[in-house]
Amino acid sequence: MSFREKSAWITVVTVLACFGVYFGAIATGNVSGRGLETLHLLLLCVVGLVVLRMALNLIVTLTTPKDGRAPKDEREMLIQWRSHTLGYYVLVVLALGLFVPVHMGHTALDMANFALLDVVVATLVVAVAQIAMFRRGA
Amino acid sequence: MTQKEKGLPIANQIRRLRFEHGEMTQSELAEKIGMTRQTIAAIEAGKYSPSLEAAFRIAHVFGAKLDEVFQWED
Repeated sequence: MSFREKSAWITVVTVLACFGVYFGAIATGNVSGRGLETLHLLLLCVVGLVVLRMALNLIVTLTTPKDGRAPKDEREMLIQWRSHTLGYYVLVVLALGLFVPVHMGHTALDMANFALLDVVVATLVVAVAQIAMFRRGA
Repeated sequence: MTQKEKGLPIANQIRRLRFEHGEMTQSELAEKIGMTRQTIAAIEAGKYSPSLEAAFRIAHVFGAKLDEVFQWED
């Protein structure tokens, strides 16, 4: 498995873990979805995401130092370009979908959470697409 | 199974050329042309078509002409 594929797996795992906790807490009603409590949980999850990603990327880099230092080659750049293009279209569609909750009377904080969810889903789509393309060859 | 049956109409002789050049590993070839081992493996398996520049680099490593390394399969 290449360094970049490992990196994509790290993205999937860390984003699912950290934002899974955040959106899971909102969905199950453990936090209100309104006010400072939600903001604090979001900050905790974002900090957790950054720390976890840095730690896992450091482990991968230390175990395969040569791969970690090597610049992206043309196939890796192609995979990056294709996956980000796909992620962009997913984000556009999801962003347009934000008009739906607007008409359902959601608050500004709810809308911010929906927008955040859109970004999280698009990020996951990019990472999963990268993994699929690395597995397939290109 | 031919390369065409695998999906890409380009066949290559990289595996044979590697072995004819001192059993060069995919990693060694990758290092010589500034690519990852996984990309060399994908090219060899016919899953990825390299750019013209990369194809020339590969041919240059083996001291071969481009059409001795890559062939278009009709």
